[in-house]
Amino acid sequence: MSGRRRFDRLLRWYPDAWRQRYGDELVALMEDTYGDRPVPWRCRTALARSGALERLRGSGLAQGGEGSGQRVRSGSLLVLCAWAVFVVAGAGFAKFAEHWDAVTPEGARWLPAAAFDAVQWAALTGAVVVLVAASASLPAFVRSMARGGWAPIRLPVLRAVVVAGATVVATVGIVLWAHHLRPRPAGRAHLPYAGAAALWALMVVATIATGTAAAVAVARRLRFSPRVLRLQGVLALAMTLVMVVVVAGTVTWWGAVAADAPWFFGDGVIGSTASRTPPALVVAGVLMVLGLAVALPGAIRVARSLPTLPTE
Amino acid sequence: MPKRPSRRPDGGLGRTNEPGLLILTSLASGIKHGYALASDIEAFAGVKLGPGTLYGAITRLEERGLIEATAGDNRRRPYRITAGGRAALAEAVREMRTIADVGTARLGLLAGNRSGGDRRARALGWTG
Repeated sequence: MSGRRRFDRLLRWYPDAWRQRYGDELVALMEDTYGDRPVPWRCRTALARSGALERLRGSGLAQGGEGSGQRVRSGSLLVLCAWAVFVVAGAGFAKFAEHWDAVTPEGARWLPAAAFDAVQWAALTGAVVVLVAASASLPAFVRSMARGGWAPIRLPVLRAVVVAGATVVATVGIVLWAHHLRPRPAGRAHLPYAGAAALWALMVVATIATGTAAAVAVARRLRFSPRVLRLQGVLALAMTLVMVVVVAGTVTWWGAVAADAPWFFGDGVIGSTASRTPPALVVAGVLMVLGLAVALPGAIRVARSLPTLPTE
Repeated sequence: MPKRPSRRPDGGLGRTNEPGLLILTSLASGIKHGYALASDIEAFAGVKLGPGTLYGAITRLEERGLIEATAGDNRRRPYRITAGGRAALAEAVREMRTIADVGTARLGLLAGNRSGGDRRARALGWTG
């Protein structure tokens, strides 16, 4: 591999726009620094980290150095991304926890029921927060479109619309298929249907991911007034609180069911034994923790910047 | 304590080993391209900036208008400090001098035994 190409490959972590502006210079610097010698791993990892950081900055999610408004915006968008992770995790949790109360002793239901209700109410509150934030952004969005702001957001928005459309079609198809399935003996799954359902679940995840990416691409380009930015910041803080409640509710529900109705995690037969850490629940839990780990830095950034936001 | 770079008079250049501050200090003596910058910084500060770190800092400084690219070879583009960059560097240097003066006074590092004091400070890891 030629020297130039060898260094070019190390820049693949950077966004295209950055590479166009600084790529040649950075390659020249590496040629001058390393020549024919191998590039140290420390430098390679530093380049990967810097490239990822540039991508984050390009997406509007990394902390902007200038202005409290930019920091409130980037922190709020980080919380929005975390919420998208929570939606996936919450859907998994809701599916897993279906009919948990049917096999839980009546006297032991109050705690998991309260925790489950808390998760449901928190999820509803989160959805309302997203709707309020989207509504508050609408006037700025309309102004942006009137100024010709469609071109830079066209690709992510169209991608989200196409993926969402495909998922709607797939949902109709899988519901119709489910209605025509014949009952099968216990323990014998209908493999083609199970495969289609797994594919459909992946499409739902893709819809959430592309929808969030489109929302971030749009929101980072809108010109918000300080009043709207303040509202977005407050909503981001509320959303983070919602996520904390979801995590606390899920953990409480998990612990209570594991203690009083562990068979729910297995075949559901009362009195049978089962692992208290079923993989589906572990995955949902890990996603929630991951989401919270993304949301908290964003919320801290918002909380620190809100007091310094300029007034109207 | 909240970090509010925009409120800092030095433009958020930060500590003495911050790449941005080192680059501005290097460019204060004239225009340089990437390799010359890295070599100069290593010579005067003993800090070896990797290519990723150096160009990350150059990107930020250029965005903030503290440095600018000059005409020249696109592959070894030279940079120069702007008036805003000089002002930010001057403010950062003033802040550091204030801290250095207070530290010098409190440690009793008088002019007469300055070199001994510097050696002590270095031994304690207080200086670069």
